Amino acid sequence: MSLIHFQVLSAALFSIGVYGVLARRSAVMVLLALELMLNAVNVNLIAFAAYGEQVQATGQVIAIFVITVAAAEVGLAMAIILRLFRDRASVDVDEVDLMKW
Amino acid sequence: MNYLLFAPEFTLTAVAFAVLGVDLFLPRDKKGYLPALSVVGLIGVFVLSLRYLWGRDTDLYDGLFLIDNFSLFFKAFFLVLGVMVVLSSVDYVKKHLSRPGEYYGILIFSILAMMLMAASGELLTAYISLELLSFSLYVLVSYGRHGLKPSEAGVKYILLGAFASALLLYGISQVYGMLGTTRFDEIHAALLLEGTPLNPAVLVGLVLIIAGLGFKVAVVPFHMWAPDVYEGAPTPVTAYLAVGSKAAAFALILRLFSQAFMPAFDDWQIILVILAALTMTVGNLVAMAQQNIKRMLAYSSIGQVGYLLMGVAALSPLASNGVILHLVGYGGTNLLAFMCVIVFYNATNKEEIADFAGLADRSPFVAMAMSAALLSLAGLPFFAGFTTKFYLFTAAADGGLLWLVGLAITNSLISLYYYMMVMKQMYMVPADDNTPLNVSMFSCGVLGMLLAGVIIIGVYPGPLVNAIQAATKAILP
Amino acid sequence: MLFQIETVTNSGVQWAWLAPTLSASAFCAIVVLGRFLPKQGAFLSLLAIMAGFGVFWYVLSEFLSSGGGIFSVDWFTVGESTFSWGIIVDELSVVMLGLVTFVALMVQMYSLGYMKNQEGSFGWYFAVHSLFAAAMLTLVLADNFLLMYIAWELVGACSYLLIGFWYHRRSAAEAAKKAFITTRIGDVGLLIGILLLFNETGTFDITTIFHIAEQGGIGSGTLTAAVLLIFLGAMGKSAQFPLHVWLPDAMEGPTPVSALIHAATMVVAGVFLVARVFPLFVMSDTAMLVVALIGLITALITAAMALVMTDLKRVLAYSTISHLGFMMLALGSFGFTAAIFHLVAHAFAKALLFLGAGSIAHGTGDKRDIREMGGLWKRMPVTSITFGIGLLALGGIPPLSGFFSKDEILVAVLDGRGPLFFVLTLVAALMSALYMARLLFLVVLGNLKTENEHAHESPWVMTVPLIALAVLALGAGLLAPGLIPGYDGFGNWLFFEEPEAYHINFLVMVISVVLSIGGFAIGWALYSRKLLSADRIRERFSGLHRVLVNKYYLDDLYQWVINRVVLAFARFMALFDRIVVNDVGVNGTGRSVFLSAWRLRYLETGKVYNYALVMVVGVVAVALIWWLALPYA
Repeated sequence: MSLIHFQVLSAALFSIGVYGVLARRSAVMVLLALELMLNAVNVNLIAFAAYGEQVQATGQVIAIFVITVAAAEVGLAMAIILRLFRDRASVDVDEVDLMKW
Repeated sequence: MNYLLFAPEFTLTAVAFAVLGVDLFLPRDKKGYLPALSVVGLIGVFVLSLRYLWGRDTDLYDGLFLIDNFSLFFKAFFLVLGVMVVLSSVDYVKKHLSRPGEYYGILIFSILAMMLMAASGELLTAYISLELLSFSLYVLVSYGRHGLKPSEAGVKYILLGAFASALLLYGISQVYGMLGTTRFDEIHAALLLEGTPLNPAVLVGLVLIIAGLGFKVAVVPFHMWAPDVYEGAPTPVTAYLAVGSKAAAFALILRLFSQAFMPAFDDWQIILVILAALTMTVGNLVAMAQQNIKRMLAYSSIGQVGYLLMGVAALSPLASNGVILHLVGYGGTNLLAFMCVIVFYNATNKEEIADFAGLADRSPFVAMAMSAALLSLAGLPFFAGFTTKFYLFTAAADGGLLWLVGLAITNSLISLYYYMMVMKQMYMVPADDNTPLNVSMFSCGVLGMLLAGVIIIGVYPGPLVNAIQAATKAILP
Repeated sequence: MLFQIETVTNSGVQWAWLAPTLSASAFCAIVVLGRFLPKQGAFLSLLAIMAGFGVFWYVLSEFLSSGGGIFSVDWFTVGESTFSWGIIVDELSVVMLGLVTFVALMVQMYSLGYMKNQEGSFGWYFAVHSLFAAAMLTLVLADNFLLMYIAWELVGACSYLLIGFWYHRRSAAEAAKKAFITTRIGDVGLLIGILLLFNETGTFDITTIFHIAEQGGIGSGTLTAAVLLIFLGAMGKSAQFPLHVWLPDAMEGPTPVSALIHAATMVVAGVFLVARVFPLFVMSDTAMLVVALIGLITALITAAMALVMTDLKRVLAYSTISHLGFMMLALGSFGFTAAIFHLVAHAFAKALLFLGAGSIAHGTGDKRDIREMGGLWKRMPVTSITFGIGLLALGGIPPLSGFFSKDEILVAVLDGRGPLFFVLTLVAALMSALYMARLLFLVVLGNLKTENEHAHESPWVMTVPLIALAVLALGAGLLAPGLIPGYDGFGNWLFFEEPEAYHINFLVMVISVVLSIGGFAIGWALYSRKLLSADRIRERFSGLHRVLVNKYYLDDLYQWVINRVVLAFARFMALFDRIVVNDVGVNGTGRSVFLSAWRLRYLETGKVYNYALVMVVGVVAVALIWWLALPYA
């Protein structure tokens, strides 16, 4: 278990998250993928805090902040998606293209 | 710990909560007090910040917040901007939006966030203030009541915004991990130790940070949200987006790149140069094909971001002056343009360029104000746009980016076309419906103020330039 | 501090700044107060320009007694460079000051009559005239490139507004757009040139840049590039090939506008610019050659085109371009004095001709086609006489002003560029005489057609300016040599580096006289056979006339030769001009930019995941470029 393992894990999770954002049709699933990305960042941060050159708390502190912000973000995003659902009766991202070109 | 230095932020938070609180008790017809309260609060904080923060160069919380001339300048700018946006929204909110209390309250919170962004000395603080700004904007963008556009704009903005902030965060984590710190001055020292070529991990971090911040200012290729969000948001919010969030993000970028990432200048300059060239070209070209005025103004601001990025790429005290001057001048001009759109929309509920036909006959004052804004955006003399663009281009040329300046001048030439198209519609195409426009005295007053500002910056920029020079000295001594 | 006035000398010359300011104030006053004033405030414009003319006389007298100078006031500071509003008062700017104020005064007076019954806002017309006068005067007085550029742009904007004055007419709107866009292309060159110089010297101040250049402070390659780019701007405004396509179309505007802007003032801005920046131009042989070549090419091809046009204003337009070509040619052959003298002489004569054309249109019920005119001297004597004087002057008939100026140009070309250029210039001069003669015989002289029986002379507001300009066209030539004691001739007053007395090269003079008169004679032979004043011409040039009469018997053969060679060439040039230069070059570039914009917009598909994908691709691309390019940075 060394730093590089966690970095690879974080990168992999992040990439899966990116794929999710790009490929998912439902807005809620996109949100899930976003959460995954943010948690990948957390893994990265904590790993750096633990295995970096000096053990320090900064990374963990940042991770806590990120968790909080992510939670707030999800709440807000769900509210907006709910609004979308109320207007269109679906959360299909593919259909949301009234404004284009 | 001199908490008095933080007084403006505390007071602004109090004002925001006051607005939200007062809103609970006001009956429906007295909601007009809310914008008045907001304006008074903002002006009060403005006076407060000038009083307590003038000429300081210190920091709070051990380097998290920097109190210097740079942050003071931007705080003052954001507060004035906030006042103008509140004044522009008064009629619009009364006619088209519900829950004005939350509107003004969240607006003030976003101003708070912008002030914090300009003052941050450290990556996490920057991120959190950025997120506060973004959240406020996500809500404000979705505020519209009618039709499918507001919710669509809101969804696109929050999904892409969250995506970008995740990218930004990953970048921050990389930089933190490789360099061991998140404070700007310590990053500077660590980068000096690193030397060139950059460690690929740090490089990835930098790229991701550029992507995340680039999203906020709508740099190509991270710009695609802008036209849709600008079109779907309520027009005062669009104006605010175009001016405020860009200015805040650029303040952060300026500070970040000049204080933290300076040692790697030779590495990231070429990237910014390419992005700047791409941005100004795409922005100006696609603007030519637009029919909705808000969308056209969105693409035009993407083009302007290209010029600003050119200034950042040349990073020198002169270039930094140019960037800040252009932010202020172009900010005023954009506000003027959007205010005209707001006034037009309030009177006619229409926002396509074709609908502007014959505006010169229906309301000569609004047409004149719109023309002044468009001519200033194009960079014609006697308006703010000329002075600011000139300064910026000169500074960039001075930094050696001659071909980029040539491209910028060519793009300015191209941009003249679509600005002229609107002017042609207003002055030369007869209106279908010749009734005079119903514009309130209040809106006329606001238009007049903005117009005066644009002309003053164009003709007598002296004091403003002096203030900006003081600001730049704080980050680029 | 904003206002720090530095005076170089304490002469009264510094009041020259009043001239543009008065007109600018008139503009603001008319726009704001116009609807409350009688005649919508048009008289304010006239007052301002009259005052400007008065300022010119004052400045001239002060200049002759105590000399000129440079006066400036600070605007703002960027880094170590300070930008200022300032004026240069030297021989060149004094001459231009007088020219612009006088011609503008004449045209505005004329417009009082001409525009009275036309559609469009009377007040706005005069407002833009004032603005134009203010901008043009600022341009000629400016002491730094920045101010000059601002004025340059403003002049272009006024031209756009005035060409498109009757904007409800599609052709007028199109012409205005074309003018603006074509000159804008030149303007880009001008701006880049100015910025290049700024980059090298750190200042916009013209005289400072000259000092630095003289001491070798600007690299020769950069200097040539900057000067050529500035010339590009001059090409746009002065309608040199290939940026000349806008001027003929600009005739869609009211005729007084054509007289002022497209004959006497705005189009000479390019020539003025080259003259003002002359110290830099002479340092680059390449640039001088380019200027001369473009001038020559322009002069030749547009003179040929003037021969086939049937719209009166268009013939005059092509003639203007051709004469601008002569001026550039003169400058490019180091004939500074010759060029400026021709600028002045041509301005008077061309303005006269355009105003005369307007008078003709006014009197004959808006006729523009020269084939429908003829014999107008019977019904419109004042107009015809003055118009005729203008034609003769520009055709180079001595002792009118055009003869002196053209002669000087020929001498300059021969001395500066050699025999090949000289011969080609002669060809162009011959053609100019020829088309002037064509107008003379087809429009003024000849038989009165029945539909023109009701033609009437124009009111005094229109004929007085004609007379004034005609007097100048007649007499200005006498300014060239020094005939008055105490005045050594134009060349000893306005010169570059060394005073040039009026050159008398007998060979050249004889050739040019022969060509001018020959041109008119050919015109007579071609376009009119029953010429009543032929007696007069026969008496004066009997020997030459006998030769021509013989040729007259071979008239058909002669006509056939000219048709096949000269006119065919002219027709080809017109076609080339329309298709290649106009449609492909100018319109084509514009259209391709627009098409690319139209296609690019479809990238924005509206779907969120597409936007996110572009972002990801952007990130990956940036990272890759950076990573791979880093080691080579």
